[in-house]
Amino acid sequence: MTVPAIKTAGLSKQYDEVTALDGLELTVEQGEVYGFLGPNGAGKSTTIGLLMNYSKPTAGTARVLGFDPWTDVVACHQQIGILPDRFDTYDNRSARRHLQLVADTKGADADPAALLERVGLGDAIDRPAGEFSQGMEQRLALAMSLVGDPELLILDEPFTGLDPHGVALVREVVDSESERGTTVFFSSHVLGQVEVVCDRIGILHRGRLVDEGTLSAFRERLDLTAEATVEDVFIQLTDESVQQTTDSARLREEDQ
Amino acid sequence: MTLLAGAQPSWFPLAREEARGLLTAKGPWILAVLLVLWGYRPTYVGWQGLGSNMTIGFLQTAGSFLLPLGVLLLSYRSVVGERTSGSLKFVLGLPMTRSDVLVGKVLGRSAGIAIPISAAAVTLGVIGLIRFGAFSPLLFCGVLLSTVVYVMSLVSVGTALSAVTTSTVRAAGAAFGGVYLVFTAFWTKFAEIIYATVGTAPPETTVGTASVNTFSAPADGLFFLLLRLSPGRAYRVLTNWLLGVGNSGGSFDAVITKLETPTSITIYTVESAFHGQTPPAYLHELSGVVILLCWLLVPLGVARYRFERGDLV
Repeated sequence: MTVPAIKTAGLSKQYDEVTALDGLELTVEQGEVYGFLGPNGAGKSTTIGLLMNYSKPTAGTARVLGFDPWTDVVACHQQIGILPDRFDTYDNRSARRHLQLVADTKGADADPAALLERVGLGDAIDRPAGEFSQGMEQRLALAMSLVGDPELLILDEPFTGLDPHGVALVREVVDSESERGTTVFFSSHVLGQVEVVCDRIGILHRGRLVDEGTLSAFRERLDLTAEATVEDVFIQLTDESVQQTTDSARLREEDQ
Repeated sequence: MTLLAGAQPSWFPLAREEARGLLTAKGPWILAVLLVLWGYRPTYVGWQGLGSNMTIGFLQTAGSFLLPLGVLLLSYRSVVGERTSGSLKFVLGLPMTRSDVLVGKVLGRSAGIAIPISAAAVTLGVIGLIRFGAFSPLLFCGVLLSTVVYVMSLVSVGTALSAVTTSTVRAAGAAFGGVYLVFTAFWTKFAEIIYATVGTAPPETTVGTASVNTFSAPADGLFFLLLRLSPGRAYRVLTNWLLGVGNSGGSFDAVITKLETPTSITIYTVESAFHGQTPPAYLHELSGVVILLCWLLVPLGVARYRFERGDLV
């Protein structure tokens, strides 16, 4: 049996008064395309930040491709391609140099021209990223994540700032990378765009994984029609979870 | 090729990119031009003390006041700027440790700033060669090397501050208010106050309360050690020693004036304070190198400790 691509146990992150992540139990098997969904502020980027060693957990453990993400940083990142959320590129560096830095650090034999061609930036290879539109920056970051054919692709809100062509491009990249055997873990709050690409979805709400499974399983369990979209599943689940939270809050108040 | 990639440390590509970024930007080259204009100051006393080696003294003049300001300006945002913009997420996602990121930043920035500064030094050398004749090339290289170590120390301090602050404004405050004003520009004043407050001035120099000034400089090794804890003064102690003008953190022409001419001048030199007595061994001019290396390593070590542990996004 192979190790899971991502496995967390009791993963929690507390910021002063705010609980951003509360005991996350998540397993993503290798080769899967996993959609990590939730409204803004649910803790998706916090989770990805922890898995990428951008921040340290308050409690819990995690394994990424079998490595500890906070101590085996080098081994871990060698296998990961990351498209972060709310990033910025280097204004005075060309698209080519952005990719070259990743390739050189990973010791990968990458072809920047081919990668940029693939994301539709073939003409902009030697232009400084400072001149790029938001959509172009997003495409550049996607190309950077693909350098060195990573085993695990982590895409944080990959559809942000993209026009319909860009959205189609991300889907196409996810599909082809998945076919190659890459595990894809991506977060999104734009639900309509994920159902076609995901094997499995997990729904995060207020720092907790409220449910996960395939879309068809959700449909069956929640007694939705076959036409129900991720949107419907999502609204129903997060409503339930809000209901539960308010119920338990009321119970606590009554106890006092 | 594979062998070469395997042999290079993991921070090397980042350092190369940092250096390239600076070398293709205007800032470091503007600094280089200003340093030439600032450093070229022929004086009679300089010529009297050093002859044609006065040209090498121009390097020290260039390295004082303006250089630390410029280098801190080019370093204080190196980490916190990327942190607030979000580009740090790419760097931290690369296969290297956070410590590697700091090392790559410091070495890459040092190279990107030291190269234009070396070009400024060579320009000063050429101008001096034409105007005042041949100088000692070995001495020139020694002073240039000292200047490069000084630059590295300043980049290291600036990057260390940048790594432990969460806003560019705070990093700027610490770099300019703390490091530049206190430790570089006005350190002599601060050292006098610290010494007068907590120091133990020898009785013969004490009139009433412990007071310190350049006319009644105490023959106290600790006071002179305190003075040279400033990176700028440590740099001048080292370069004055190489130039052979005396044991002092003052500028080379001031040291010559104080020690070689009958003029009384308001700077501290070990020779004039100790009047032929043997100063403590730790006041040897090589202490300048030790202090510069401390500035290079200690703040960065502290910053590394905190940078490895905290939340960076």
